[in-house]
Amino acid sequence: MTNQTKSQFIAVASITSELSAVMVVAKEISLAAANAKAIAFRAGDKAKGFQPITDFINELAKETIELVTNINIYALVLYRLTVDEYQKTVAYNKFELAAKMAEDAPYAKSMQEPVDHARLSMQDCQRQFKRDVSQLLGQLEAVMHHARAARVIAANSRIEASQAGEYLQSLQAVAESVDKAAHTIHDNVQRCRIALSIYRNS
Amino acid sequence: MKTTKIYEGSHQWIMFGRDEGKPNNVIDTNQYVVRTANRCLLLDPGGAELFAPMMAAVLHHAPVDQITDLFASHQDPDVISSLGLWDQALTNAKLHAPAIWEGFLRHYSCESIEYVAIPDNGGTIKLESVELQIIPAHYLHSSGNFHIYDPQAKILMSGDVGGAIEGPDAPVFVENFAAHVEKMRYWHQRWMPSNQAKRVWIERVRNLDIDILAPQHGRMFKGDDVKRFLDWFDALQVGIAV
Repeated sequence: MTNQTKSQFIAVASITSELSAVMVVAKEISLAAANAKAIAFRAGDKAKGFQPITDFINELAKETIELVTNINIYALVLYRLTVDEYQKTVAYNKFELAAKMAEDAPYAKSMQEPVDHARLSMQDCQRQFKRDVSQLLGQLEAVMHHARAARVIAANSRIEASQAGEYLQSLQAVAESVDKAAHTIHDNVQRCRIALSIYRNS
Repeated sequence: MKTTKIYEGSHQWIMFGRDEGKPNNVIDTNQYVVRTANRCLLLDPGGAELFAPMMAAVLHHAPVDQITDLFASHQDPDVISSLGLWDQALTNAKLHAPAIWEGFLRHYSCESIEYVAIPDNGGTIKLESVELQIIPAHYLHSSGNFHIYDPQAKILMSGDVGGAIEGPDAPVFVENFAAHVEKMRYWHQRWMPSNQAKRVWIERVRNLDIDILAPQHGRMFKGDDVKRFLDWFDALQVGIAV
């Protein structure tokens, strides 16, 4: 296995690992939203501005979970494609070697068709992999967008929390946890993007 | 890859082995090809690392599109881990292999090749006018195991039975049976698990008219050495690891 192939396997495998962490964090945001909603309800008029924000947070968490679920399915497809590409590359190299070893054989020319076919299959896989990586990067960008939106919401939450009197601390804690979660999601997804970007379709 | 024609009549049997490019840490194997006018059967085509030299060697005898059939005596990697490569090289081929190993062998990838599942009681492989018999050899050593008998050529391809671990320069036929015995004693005692299975197989094989007994490892037996081997194997206690 070449270093390039090893890196490709690692890059694809790392997406699943990074995204499972994102999923955990997105679920934490969802919980934080439910918690914030309960606090805002108890706070009544003092947290009036906070109530619609909790719905936004919850919606954002749900969408992130949905996106990550889809990306995980896509990452699995990408992993299978990597395996397929590896097998096709091995076959192409072995076929070429067989053709070379059989140079003086009476039926050497009959090996040309399998060699050509293996090369085309391998190149098809390589192109498909690049196309799929480009699409996956697009989906990861959507998750990043959600993370950025969550940070804006966290900033608004802090402002609204400051109006909430004795509930200030509880609501600020919610804002902090959303902000922290958004940071984690951003960082994890960014690592996925960096790992994959070298394979994108140029 | 050393090539030896072992039968030439209405069809041919060719033995391939003693591959000089083989990595030292993998066991040496014998591959056999049955060649008719327009078709070619590869018996125990070998491990993945052997694919290129084996394909190159076969191209001296047949074009790729006439390699129509593969046979795997059992599921071991030295027998058939090249399956995924043959599967990509051959567009119209069948793999004849034990039914009980189908789900296992497909791990090597078998998409374009048709898997012809051999039932426990064996069967036949028809290669143009040549009809080869599939002889059950279960538990010798694999639980689903077959050998191939050609009544015209009087050759029994005997898988691991008759095998021995040899050096790369070893002759392809046994020349001195008494001297050869020590090379195959441990092989049979340790790899073959069942004295009962051994007795049933010997009884079955003694009814066949065999000129050459062709194992997947080591040297082939011809003439009187075939009977010598059967007698020796009959007297041997196997399954010694328990």
